[in-house]
Amino acid sequence: MKIDLKELVNDDASLISRRVWSDQTVYEREKRAIFARSWLFLGHESQIKTPGDFVQAYMCETPIILARGEDGGIHASVNSCTHRGLPVCRSDHGNTKRFVCPYHNWSYKVDGELATIPQERQVKCKPNKAELGLKKVPRVESWRGLIFGSFNESIEPLEDFLGDMTFYLGAWIDRFPGGIEFVGSPHRWVIDCNWKLPVENQLGDVYHGPYLHGSLIAPDSEAGKEIDSYAYNVIPTPGHGASFRLMPEDSPIEQVAWGFESTVGQLGSDELKDYLRSVQTIAEEYVGPIRARMKGLAYGVYPNLSFLWSNAGFKVSHPRGPNKVEYWSWSVVPADAPEHLKKQLRNNHASFFGPGGVLEQEDAEAWMQQNLGANIDFADDRKFFYGLGLGEEGTHPDLPGTVTTGANEYYARAFFSRWRYDLLAAEGEA
Amino acid sequence: MSTLELQHRVEQFYYREARLLDNREYQQWFALIHPEISYSMPGRSNPMVDNRERGQESMISVERELEGVESDGLPYRDENYAVLWVRVDRSYKMNSWAENPPARTRRIIGNVEILEASDESLSVLSNFHLFYARPGLKDFFYAGQRRDQLIASGDSFQIKRREIVMDISTVNVPTLGIFL
Repeated sequence: MKIDLKELVNDDASLISRRVWSDQTVYEREKRAIFARSWLFLGHESQIKTPGDFVQAYMCETPIILARGEDGGIHASVNSCTHRGLPVCRSDHGNTKRFVCPYHNWSYKVDGELATIPQERQVKCKPNKAELGLKKVPRVESWRGLIFGSFNESIEPLEDFLGDMTFYLGAWIDRFPGGIEFVGSPHRWVIDCNWKLPVENQLGDVYHGPYLHGSLIAPDSEAGKEIDSYAYNVIPTPGHGASFRLMPEDSPIEQVAWGFESTVGQLGSDELKDYLRSVQTIAEEYVGPIRARMKGLAYGVYPNLSFLWSNAGFKVSHPRGPNKVEYWSWSVVPADAPEHLKKQLRNNHASFFGPGGVLEQEDAEAWMQQNLGANIDFADDRKFFYGLGLGEEGTHPDLPGTVTTGANEYYARAFFSRWRYDLLAAEGEA
Repeated sequence: MSTLELQHRVEQFYYREARLLDNREYQQWFALIHPEISYSMPGRSNPMVDNRERGQESMISVERELEGVESDGLPYRDENYAVLWVRVDRSYKMNSWAENPPARTRRIIGNVEILEASDESLSVLSNFHLFYARPGLKDFFYAGQRRDQLIASGDSFQIKRREIVMDISTVNVPTLGIFL
């Protein structure tokens, strides 16, 4: 079916059609316009420390092997045999010299090069193995250990793509002298919703918190009041977003330090609390006075990576058609925290987020219910309203990007403006 | 106490627990929980098989797939008494949107196997199949194993340790946050 993008998203992106969230034609166009052309998050360098290490990843629905090659370099290859197309890597993670396709046992090195064809000796005309490796992801770059890949060979460098998002991501990552590390395997959760809703939820939707999660974070609670008083949504570049509280300079250390507002911080040992205070004590030295006062909420990196500051998790919303996602979440800890404290800190994420988390089971409920609303008939003339705070966005002397209050939906309008532009541009219609 | 009688008492304890949970009587269920409870659900991944373990049962053991509380990996859940109480408490709030309207559950507990028993403490395995229907959504099926430490309490027991091994690959249920 033909689609009119300007009908689906209006010019100021304050009205969004239900079909944006549910239509197969829209989804196919998203694949070509966004997932084939953007930088996409693959994993973290701490997951593949030594040669031969690999983890699975996805770029949209395409399975990817992310590996540390024998040369020490980082390689991303499409997990599909050049011979008959089967996945050659059949594990989530591990260390190996070869991936062997089960069908005819063609074997590949971890960097994707074709190593052996068992049947080769039976034929006279030898295939050119140098041309028959796994399809390489042509661009792979990392920033602060976060590895991204792109199928778009001419895409801008990753740091340019992230732009001022690095200022906000760095506010957390750079306060740990040893950087960060990903813990164990990601939780992989299939949810019946469109991929953009989990993204939007973390991108700047601060104000679902006290309501959807009102049983845990009441609007009139201390946490709710803190959001009312100090929360900002910043959009460094449309599509990216950072929401956080900029705490007053005279805040008590426990009020501003990372980790104290989670169950881990509240129920943790004295040793853990001392550690969290020590991180905050040196934060200014590493990230400067403004960013040391930042107490993050959630972030989004276009198109489908999210970061949760308070509960220390990275998440990717992998589409599985217009009405389903495979939502991956990793727990993240400071790399130089003592090992026994990492075991407490990792639970920062899982107790509240992921499929067992108290909070995110409510998010998933909202996302599944929105998907029902996005698929109904006879209501195409009643679009979803994204107009809260329209035209009220501004700037802040210390915060690069467009700055709004927590309740302003500019973060989502900016995302959908970029989304519409990308979909039009890919077809030469922008 | 005879082995038969002990087995009977443990099974009756689990049946009663199952009834309380399926009846959504979580406040009564919480009385079965020891204040020092460790309640956890290991993460479960699909690691590469170790070539050197060919021919041995360890090559495909369940344990190597689990990311439990003692591991360096990421459990699905790692909870204490306070966190479990939060879950019980919010079940009876009007704005606990993931539980309101509440799901209909029915569980069958079986394969109850007492591994070790002293006067104070039992180490017990049990399996569960659970049917889960949340109004407005599809129906779901949960299967797994519980690895419990039970503590004698009066003429019954309290659960001091429960590790829930889920038989899932990708999580295809709306929540792993239910009481299992």
